[in-house]
Amino acid sequence: MNKPKNKAAVVKVKNDIEKSVLDFLKKGMDNEIFDAVLIPMKVPAGDSFAYVLIKDKSLLKDASYLPPVMPVQGANAVSSITRLGKGKMKIAAVLRPCETRATVELTKLGQTDLENIILISMDCPGVLPLSDFVKDPKKGMKLFDESIQKGEDKSMRPVCQICDKSSMVSGDIHIGTLGAKKDTFFVISNSNKGDEILSKLKISKKEDLDNWQSKVKNISEEKLKKRKNAHKTLKSKVGGLDNLLDTFSQCINCHNCMRVCPVCYCRLCYFDSDKVKHPSDDYLMRAEKTGSLRCPSDITLFQMGRMMHMSLSCVSCGMCEDACPMDIPVAQIFSMVADETQDLFDYVSGRDIEEPLPFVSYKEKELEEMEDAA
Amino acid sequence: MERKIGVYICECGPNISEKIDIDKVIDAVSKLDDVSVAKRYKLLCSEEGKKYLLDEIKKQGLTHLVVSACSPRDHEKTFMEICEKAGINPYLFQMANIREHCAWITENKDEATKKAIRMTKAAIRRVRYHSSLKKKEIEGNPDVLVIGGGIAGIEASLQLADSDRKIYLVEKESSLGGLINNFEKTYPNMVPGSDIIKQRIEDIKKNENIKVYTDSEVEEIIGFLGNFEVKVKKVTEENEPAEFNVGAVVLATGSSVFDPEKTPQYGYKKLDNVITSLEFEEMNKSGKLSLANGEKPKTVAIVHCVGREKVGYCSDICCMYSLKFVRYLHDKIPNVKVSNFYSDLCIPGKTHQKFYEQTIEKNVDLIRSTDINIEKKANKISITYNDENKNKKNLSVDMVILSPAVIPNSDTKKLAGITSISQGDGGFFAEEHEKLGPISTTTEGIYIVGSAQGPKDISSTIIQAEAATGKILTSLIPGKKIEPEIKVSHISESLCIGCKTCLSVCSYGAITFDETKKVSVVNEVICRGCGNCVAACPSGAASIKHFTFDQLYQELVEAVQ
Repeated sequence: MNKPKNKAAVVKVKNDIEKSVLDFLKKGMDNEIFDAVLIPMKVPAGDSFAYVLIKDKSLLKDASYLPPVMPVQGANAVSSITRLGKGKMKIAAVLRPCETRATVELTKLGQTDLENIILISMDCPGVLPLSDFVKDPKKGMKLFDESIQKGEDKSMRPVCQICDKSSMVSGDIHIGTLGAKKDTFFVISNSNKGDEILSKLKISKKEDLDNWQSKVKNISEEKLKKRKNAHKTLKSKVGGLDNLLDTFSQCINCHNCMRVCPVCYCRLCYFDSDKVKHPSDDYLMRAEKTGSLRCPSDITLFQMGRMMHMSLSCVSCGMCEDACPMDIPVAQIFSMVADETQDLFDYVSGRDIEEPLPFVSYKEKELEEMEDAA
Repeated sequence: MERKIGVYICECGPNISEKIDIDKVIDAVSKLDDVSVAKRYKLLCSEEGKKYLLDEIKKQGLTHLVVSACSPRDHEKTFMEICEKAGINPYLFQMANIREHCAWITENKDEATKKAIRMTKAAIRRVRYHSSLKKKEIEGNPDVLVIGGGIAGIEASLQLADSDRKIYLVEKESSLGGLINNFEKTYPNMVPGSDIIKQRIEDIKKNENIKVYTDSEVEEIIGFLGNFEVKVKKVTEENEPAEFNVGAVVLATGSSVFDPEKTPQYGYKKLDNVITSLEFEEMNKSGKLSLANGEKPKTVAIVHCVGREKVGYCSDICCMYSLKFVRYLHDKIPNVKVSNFYSDLCIPGKTHQKFYEQTIEKNVDLIRSTDINIEKKANKISITYNDENKNKKNLSVDMVILSPAVIPNSDTKKLAGITSISQGDGGFFAEEHEKLGPISTTTEGIYIVGSAQGPKDISSTIIQAEAATGKILTSLIPGKKIEPEIKVSHISESLCIGCKTCLSVCSYGAITFDETKKVSVVNEVICRGCGNCVAACPSGAASIKHFTFDQLYQELVEAVQ
């Protein structure tokens, strides 16, 4: 993957982009390039969205390639069907860039098998916070559409507002809408699999991608600036042990953040296991030392443990923050920590499937700045 | 179970007693849960001390033992043996190092005492969570894998097979013999190379104890002394690899020569009639000792030390074989004039001097020189050089033989990866110790013989083959049991998420992946208990015996408060 993407195919939009993208997927099924499509769809009650595996191509028209919310991280959807290995069928999975990146991370961790999966991403405008949306789904739909039209992100998840990787391509095919001529979109191939699909669909890559690339560059640079500022402000609020303890003191220990996190993939969370349950006397001993002890204890330790375990693979998708009933800015804190830890290893989670996880790649000279000054 | 922990604090003569208030330590720990006795003794590692401890364990009916004394590296084993003698499991014991970690690092008796209390408490807390561990014994496999079918591998194979060991001899070429096959004669007694090797190859073929794999390469070696699992694959075919077990491995992969193209001043590959020593041996053996145009050379130069500066070592054998080449030339071309260009002559040993003196008796020039440059001039090869007095000189010859540095075989890197034996100076396999362990390696049960370990002549190679044979015969005795590591890792099937992170950090190849269950599995016989997988496992599925989470946590609770 990650070949130079100088040329792309261009598809003409009929009616609206959504229909045309779905039509593109249907063509893929018509031509038996893939046997099924994994894509979000509105739930029957109409007030939320869920990933569905569509085998009957006539149902594709009801799917939604760019839903306004992310109730389930797409990487979890992919992992749920390929955790035990690939199947016989080829499946096109339509995921946002952060979902694609989480899928790439999970693949490195052996939690998916992408051999028969085609990852399709798109330029992402962000998603609305789930709690805002469910209060009034109709209003939410309208707000989302208007935000896209106006190019505004102030209603989106806080981490979406500071996302500098909203057009990052790390799957097989990317739908590019930025910088495209009126009533067209780019179909960008990013792998041999992607090339193969375009050639089977007889779509040739002849259009120059400069426009898309410069637009994406502008947006990511602007967002990166915003991100750095936001992290700076956040750090002054949550940095240091006292601030950190204060920030997480509201935590009700529900572990929702862990359950919805795409890269938090343990079968049994360490913090749910018996390993953190100690003899009664141990707690008494701790209480004796400090005068009193919050029970259950080690709430901030859970957050710090998760940060230590997951920050190198964190894709800043914002699932955790959406799921926090106490409105703790978990995702913003994680995105800040993740940027710093990933920077240490020159690593970007989900950027490239060939890039090894920092924890399993040994370099003789690494992190020298962290060594004790002798 | 009711625990009765005995805590014994060693005075270590004045070492501990002068720096630590031992009675204070005893006061601080004797009331702790499960501690039934806390006492001091003058020197626990002495014969009297050991007897005292043995009697105490029995008399007090102890179930667990804590000794606060020196570094566990000094006496952990001593006290574990006492536990065993006294009838308690040696793993229900913990040592606190209050000498190196407390007494010896400060002049402040108060601080030292405080820390000694903390460390002793930590040991007591830890030992309460210890479990009995049982020793395992497996039958050591006395068979041997020999990699490389040159003189080193052949010699080791024959000698071991003579002692009734089964040998697996793996050679990547289609026939045995290695480089000696090319040598018409060998120095210093000018015995034909085939005399040395032919009979031996026949012996190997006849020997029922030796299984030969030609055209084959070793793909995998996992294990330790007495228990290596080996996979060998035919290079030419797509067959499944042959799999077998051995108890020891002999690396006899030999050497190759430095590529003179990397030193362009010698004109190799650019000029006709400039050849390497190995090419000359082949040419001589085939009986076609001639120039490219078919004529016999009248003048020949032999250039020693080609590439010596690049590799950074003297290759030991080049001077001698270069002199042997003089003999070849004189034997085949009566009036040939030979000039040897050398920088230092290396002819040690009780017979080599004589060989040298006899060789230089006729028609040989030995030219000590530097800054050699070889070019074509008319129909001749022109050698310019600086002589010993730094005067620029020139000599024209018909043929140039380059004697390049001896370098490790090209497979060395791959095999180093497979065996985890590192490459030392010059890229040769690293011996355990240059003087004290010249054929042993850092992995018990893997030995290096011959020029795989460094440039070497035939007799030194045979000496090493015999040495390895001796090592193997004395360490791997059929029927003798081998004790694998007890403190091994275990991966919980119900917690393992199958990310395979552990596989990439295991240095011993002890972890495999169960594709049906999608979980990692530790081979307890191969695991050495290093703990890499435990540290790397992101889902807490891996744990290591005697260093369990609880044990470490409990120890830390006291140690770091």
